[in-house]
Amino acid sequence: MHEFTIAAWLTPYIGAAIILLLYKTGDRVKGYVAVLSILIAALVSTYAALLVHEHGKPLYVAFEWVESLDVTIGAYFDSLSSLMALVVSWLSFLIAVYSLEYMGEDPGQTRYWFFFSFFVGSMMLLVLSDNLITMFIGWEGTGLASYALIGHWFTDEEERWVGDPGRKALGIQMWFEPSHSGLRALVFTRLGDVGLLVGIAVLHLILGSTGFYEILEGAKEWSSLLYMRGLLGIFLALFILGALAKSAQFPFHEWLVTAMTGPTSVSALIHAATMVKAGVYFLLRFVPIFVVAEHALEYLHLPGAGIIKDFFAYIALIGAFTAFLMATMAVVSRELKLILAFSTASQLGYMFLGTAAGALTGESLLGVIAGFSHLASHAIFKASLFLAAGAIIHAVHSRFIDDMGGLAKDMRVTFIAMTLAALSLAGLPPFMGFWSKDMVLLAGYESKASIPLLLGVVTAGLTAAYTFRMIFRVFLYKTSGDSHHEHHVHEPGKLMLVPYTLLAILSLLFGLAWPFIEEGILEWFARGTLGIEEGVVHIGIEPELAAPTLTIVFAGIFISYYVYQYRLATPMTYISRNSILNFLHKFLYDRWFINSIYYKVLVRGFRTLSVVTYKFIDRLVVDNFYHIFLPTSFMRLALDTRAKLEHWIDEGFHIYLVNGILGISGRVRRIQNGILNYYIVMLWLGLSIILIFLWLLMGWPI
Amino acid sequence: MGLVTLEAPLLASTVIVPVLAAVISWLAGEKISSKSHAVLNGGSLLYSLLIFVYIAYSAGLDNIVRDPAYWTIDGLGTFAFVLDPIVFPVAISIAAVTAMVAFYSIPYMEHRYEELRHEGEEAPGWGAYFFLYTLFAASMIGSVLTSNTIEFYLFLELTLIPSFLLIAFYGYGDRVRIAILYLIWTHVGALLFLIGALSAGFKIGFDFINIYTGMPKLGIGDAGLAGDLLWATLALMVIGLLVKMAVFGVHIWLPYAHAEAPTPISALLSPNLIGIGGLMLFRIVYTLFPKSLDQVSTYLYAWAFLTMIYGGLMALVQTDFKRLLAYSSVSQMGYMLLGIASLSIYGISGALLHYLVHAFGKAILFLVAGTLIATLHGLRQIPKMGGLATKMPYTAALALVGFMHITGIPPTAGLWSEYLIVRGAVEKSFNMGALSFTLMSIALLIGIGLSTAYAFFTMKRIFYGSLPKHLDDAHEAKDSLIVPMIVLAAIGILVFFYVFTIINPMIGYLEHLG
Repeated sequence: MHEFTIAAWLTPYIGAAIILLLYKTGDRVKGYVAVLSILIAALVSTYAALLVHEHGKPLYVAFEWVESLDVTIGAYFDSLSSLMALVVSWLSFLIAVYSLEYMGEDPGQTRYWFFFSFFVGSMMLLVLSDNLITMFIGWEGTGLASYALIGHWFTDEEERWVGDPGRKALGIQMWFEPSHSGLRALVFTRLGDVGLLVGIAVLHLILGSTGFYEILEGAKEWSSLLYMRGLLGIFLALFILGALAKSAQFPFHEWLVTAMTGPTSVSALIHAATMVKAGVYFLLRFVPIFVVAEHALEYLHLPGAGIIKDFFAYIALIGAFTAFLMATMAVVSRELKLILAFSTASQLGYMFLGTAAGALTGESLLGVIAGFSHLASHAIFKASLFLAAGAIIHAVHSRFIDDMGGLAKDMRVTFIAMTLAALSLAGLPPFMGFWSKDMVLLAGYESKASIPLLLGVVTAGLTAAYTFRMIFRVFLYKTSGDSHHEHHVHEPGKLMLVPYTLLAILSLLFGLAWPFIEEGILEWFARGTLGIEEGVVHIGIEPELAAPTLTIVFAGIFISYYVYQYRLATPMTYISRNSILNFLHKFLYDRWFINSIYYKVLVRGFRTLSVVTYKFIDRLVVDNFYHIFLPTSFMRLALDTRAKLEHWIDEGFHIYLVNGILGISGRVRRIQNGILNYYIVMLWLGLSIILIFLWLLMGWPI
Repeated sequence: MGLVTLEAPLLASTVIVPVLAAVISWLAGEKISSKSHAVLNGGSLLYSLLIFVYIAYSAGLDNIVRDPAYWTIDGLGTFAFVLDPIVFPVAISIAAVTAMVAFYSIPYMEHRYEELRHEGEEAPGWGAYFFLYTLFAASMIGSVLTSNTIEFYLFLELTLIPSFLLIAFYGYGDRVRIAILYLIWTHVGALLFLIGALSAGFKIGFDFINIYTGMPKLGIGDAGLAGDLLWATLALMVIGLLVKMAVFGVHIWLPYAHAEAPTPISALLSPNLIGIGGLMLFRIVYTLFPKSLDQVSTYLYAWAFLTMIYGGLMALVQTDFKRLLAYSSVSQMGYMLLGIASLSIYGISGALLHYLVHAFGKAILFLVAGTLIATLHGLRQIPKMGGLATKMPYTAALALVGFMHITGIPPTAGLWSEYLIVRGAVEKSFNMGALSFTLMSIALLIGIGLSTAYAFFTMKRIFYGSLPKHLDDAHEAKDSLIVPMIVLAAIGILVFFYVFTIINPMIGYLEHLG
């Protein structure tokens, strides 16, 4: 009776199909179709979430699709997925509304809105799937849509690039055109997807199903079997590879950075609501199941439980390292969208850290709440930041913060909105970002994961520093040589302004409300999330942790204030005088040279391998073996045989035969070049040998 | 699951009707217009497609369907036409692709005739083209419906002559030499297979399908042959078919033939003809020697990975679009062989579904290459292209759909075949220990990674970026080139949604087989 809830993912897909059919009609209509279809998805998700809340149990509809693979398609709303669906659909709706104005003049409307709706549909399918196959379909759908949207401006004009044109690091170019970035996004994420696909196949092999419920129920079965076969570790590593790549965790973070070549609305969509959150959602979905598997192995007294624990520890470490790594890059970045992109990958690292570290405590609840809260709060404030950044870049006609400064005067509302969102990103109370980041760190603290925790706390300081560096440089800090005064800077229209202002206010309101709804959320997750058993979890402020974190956050803000606002300094002049600092700056600015190393080792490696193999194996060895060596050998064999046989075969017959052959090849030669006669001889000899072989083998009467 | 004997020889008609159309085309020659030729021949192949669909739905997709008539020859067994869940995806792929390409041939070959005239050559006219074309298509259809190795061999030989002549008459570059090269290579493959088939057949008979039950005569080779003879027979048949598939080591003919064939023929050769090798590897060799094949399957499995990665590496460095697609076909045959060599129900289903996926995807891509050739004055060199999506948005979109097929991105059926093939590989390696499993995972990562890389790198090189000056006057291709591609793309996407109609019966059939 709740079958219609599949509309939560189906309507955006239908919207996409309608947009495609409307390719000849006016451009406005396509935008409206997309907005409307996403609105319906959002309303249905809301209704479903209310039902889940009312009944206190998951809402589940399923239709049979591919029976022989046990694949159903439907909608599965539990505590986790229904909240996730709300975040995704409502944010996508606001971003779509913003796009109506932001992309209003763009010639590629059909493409934009088609892939936008397709993107949202895929993300909703991913979130609401009850099995890994349909989840994977949504997963790949987001990959395709992001490829198309990141490369939306595929004609690669310089204003669409990311990075400093002309800049090289270790001889590798450090600027990226949209078409290049789209390719990077797809290839990077697909590598992880192969791992995920192998993982799915393993579960299907063992359980005969890829349903989440079956995987939970069969946790003991698959984990013990994999452990016995010595495959548990590699299975976990492969299975999570897709999530790491999708959510741009080290070493897959590179694609996300250059994804900034897409329209800013797309950046908001990818970074806030969809795509990169898919990996976190995947982790949130499966960590409870892994914890159950861990307990099952413990119960069986198998040391495999240790492998799962180690796995959590590695994920926490990867997350914390990514958080730190990306934050250090954000500190030196000169492009507004790039700062936000680094920040996204960094915050995603926090989510991985929180979720995995929480699981290290032996219960999944704390980690899931920490991971999800940070996901949701980040989605809200980051969408706001990106959308505001889009308005600014639009107004200033530059993506570099050097060209900005002093914008607060002309863009007052944007300034306030962005500052509110930035306060949330920096993790200041009472903003939502404070609570969720605190909970992530709490998960690290409770599980005594010391190195990840330390990295997390340091990153909090870096985050505050780069966030306020951005605010000061964009809105306040002003030097005499600013260029943007040539054109009149003004606020965008309402369709753009309202979404990001609303989101900024929301991040404050949720923050204010948090202490009151905290218990409710705890109960919500504990009660109706697949794999989570009710347990007692302590959440709330831990002074021993919050005090140093807040101190370091304030320190970060203060340093940015002192340098950029109080002293109006240009640190680069100072840095360039000192060779060590200069190298450090270059190291950070060129993203730890990781991109260059990938291109030097992997891209060039494969390229060289291809070229060398093509030249020396394919052309030189294989081609020549068959097409030069074999024919000439047969020819020589023929000539030799003729010479040897001459003594005892009728000379006349011999000459007659050879002349015959030469006659044929002579005639053929007239048609084409010299090598042809080899083939004729080869064909003739080959056939003879085959027939002789046949005769020997079979005694077949020829 | 059961055998359904048709009232009328409908399956035979899927071969005979196109052959008749071919002959009429030949006789009519220049007396009828090129459009009438296309309608006649394309229509006859559409007829075959409709018959397959009609039979499948009227008899039930999970049944085996046989013509009422069959022909028994002393010593050679029974020649019959059989359609079962394994053959179904292959048969509809051939019929659909050849039908659409027949319509596409008109605008394309007009351009090709023009070019040839420009070179001062007079190629045989429409009558000859369509006679050879449809004969080629019909013999491919016939070859997959067979129930007897000799019957299969005859149809296989029948595909060779017209395709050889089509390359020799209408091909590019050094076409006569390449046509002969193609003829000899595939002939050697066919002959090796024939020797194997003969050496087995005289002991155990030539039928691989029991026409009274419709089921394969599983294991008759394992039981009836022994020792060296068994292994020699097995090796000959396997290697013969692998030459047809153009797997690594015996692939070198394919880039020549498929790149230089006239593009509509490339679109038939590359997805359809070579894949038949894979189908028959399962349908004949596995049927005769399930146990023996199992013993050597690990070698084939490794060979499949090698082919997959090697083809991908080679595709990465090609500058000629058609040659790139040809190497991509080598790589795709690696996927197909991987599924079959896994000898898992899912892997085999995946391989046969992949036949369909590759047939549609690669046909679209070859037709895109042809569209570029016909629209941009013979342009094939990728480095000279770029930014074409602005001028040719539909062609670009179709190329994207084509590449999505072969890289397994939804909503194309490639997603299903890729998953099933991986599922087969996982099953095989799972039983071989942790090292094998790790190696398999790495190989899949590299193989699928390479496919994605060359596919989307090619998209970028051809369609994105800035438009070079010499392409300023580029424009979208005419509808007669675009529409056949759209139909193929639409069917490919439709199969994604209705994949259960193909997979469920196939898996049921294979489970039944054990």
